[in-house]
Amino acid sequence: MIVQILSGVGNTLLITALSLVFGAALGLPLVAARRSSWRPLQLVASAYIDVVRAIPPITWLFLIYFGLPQYALKLNPITASIVGFSLIAAAYMAETYRAGLLSIPAGQWEAATALGMGFFSTTQHVITPQAFRVTLPAIAAYAIALLKDSALASTIGVHDITYQAGLVARSSHQGLLAFTIAGLLYIALSLPLALAARRVDKALRIKLEVA
Amino acid sequence: MHMELAKTRAESPPTVGAVEVVGLDKAYGKNMVLRDVNLEMPEGEVLSIIGPSGAGKSTFLRCLNYLEVPTAGTITIGNTTVDAGARPSRASLDHLRRVTGMVFQSFNLFPHLTVLENISLPQIKVLKRSRDEAHEISRNLLSRVGLDAKSGEHPSRLSGGQQQRIAIARALALSPKVMLFDEPTSALDPELGLEVLAVMRDLADEGMTMIVVTHEMNFARDVSDRVMVMADGGVLEVGPSDQIMTQPSHERTRKFLRAVLDR
Repeated sequence: MIVQILSGVGNTLLITALSLVFGAALGLPLVAARRSSWRPLQLVASAYIDVVRAIPPITWLFLIYFGLPQYALKLNPITASIVGFSLIAAAYMAETYRAGLLSIPAGQWEAATALGMGFFSTTQHVITPQAFRVTLPAIAAYAIALLKDSALASTIGVHDITYQAGLVARSSHQGLLAFTIAGLLYIALSLPLALAARRVDKALRIKLEVA
Repeated sequence: MHMELAKTRAESPPTVGAVEVVGLDKAYGKNMVLRDVNLEMPEGEVLSIIGPSGAGKSTFLRCLNYLEVPTAGTITIGNTTVDAGARPSRASLDHLRRVTGMVFQSFNLFPHLTVLENISLPQIKVLKRSRDEAHEISRNLLSRVGLDAKSGEHPSRLSGGQQQRIAIARALALSPKVMLFDEPTSALDPELGLEVLAVMRDLADEGMTMIVVTHEMNFARDVSDRVMVMADGGVLEVGPSDQIMTQPSHERTRKFLRAVLDR
């Protein structure tokens, strides 16, 4: 029984990790657009972020998995889940980045500008390292939330932890045990992530000694 | 490097224009915060700008390196002229910032970098110096401001006075023609302010052209060559420090000086 539920770990991790990576990458142009001085671009980015976050993740998955085939775009369940969660993660990551950027005092931009450093140089060497330090806890929290949300992929047929636990529960009539094991597996996966994030956060905090 | 700088300064005739500002205006919407400010400074001069808060002193200083965008007027520093009316090019703004160094009230050191990295980063990125060369120059400057022992520390471990001295070193590392100081001691305890003022005094003695927005009346009187008094976005008067501090021509200046000196 445990072996079968364990066989879902790979897909759970695959969906979580890839969605996080794609979301983190897509979040960058999104936050750049959101902070752009060109109003139309700003509005498009804001609208994307708001719309994505206003619709439940499961609805997104159904839209992509059941809706897109109407336009001849038939994705397999794993791909559909990764696409869905990446689009959602991008919106959340963009907001996280934005909060990180807003937390950097204007004086940092001014000092770098007065020193003759350009926008990209300042962003790369002055702002991002500080913003990263501020956003790390939020990113770690989102990664854990995403890990848990990835269970929704089981509803479109991805063979993840929750899907396998469901199969076992039906065939063995031991639903309590099967889903308890599934729950423990999610804890086991998120715990190292939380601990690692806490450790890195603490190390950076000591180095910088900022509140 | 700065020995050289000081030497060339001493050899050049004292009347070479370092800064020339003509008809500078700055408005936020309909609110005029600077109105027709003019200034001409020879190389090596130290100018203090004093006046009540809200006078536009900091705004004026921040217009000189385009941290604030003026609405009208021209700014000439060294051989760079920027015309606010003509939407200046990226290159001319870069150049304006290259020839000016700025020191802020709140230091604005980069908290994630060590002291040595703080002074070296702009040299590497802006002047394209090699890492080794930048580090060597940074170390020399650190010993000039008396902080060689702190090169490996992060700014948060240092006192405000030490941070401000490092901010001065960071600006000097790019060999500016003019140093702009925006209330450099206002965030410091009087005692820590003194060590910053001592560094500024040395810099003035070496012939650096300096514009200092300050509430330190002793510095204005003793170190600066001239004092400019601002109020309500305009220049009330400019003159030799002694004259302005002891016998100003405007009643408004007298009132301001009484208020600060009586404290």
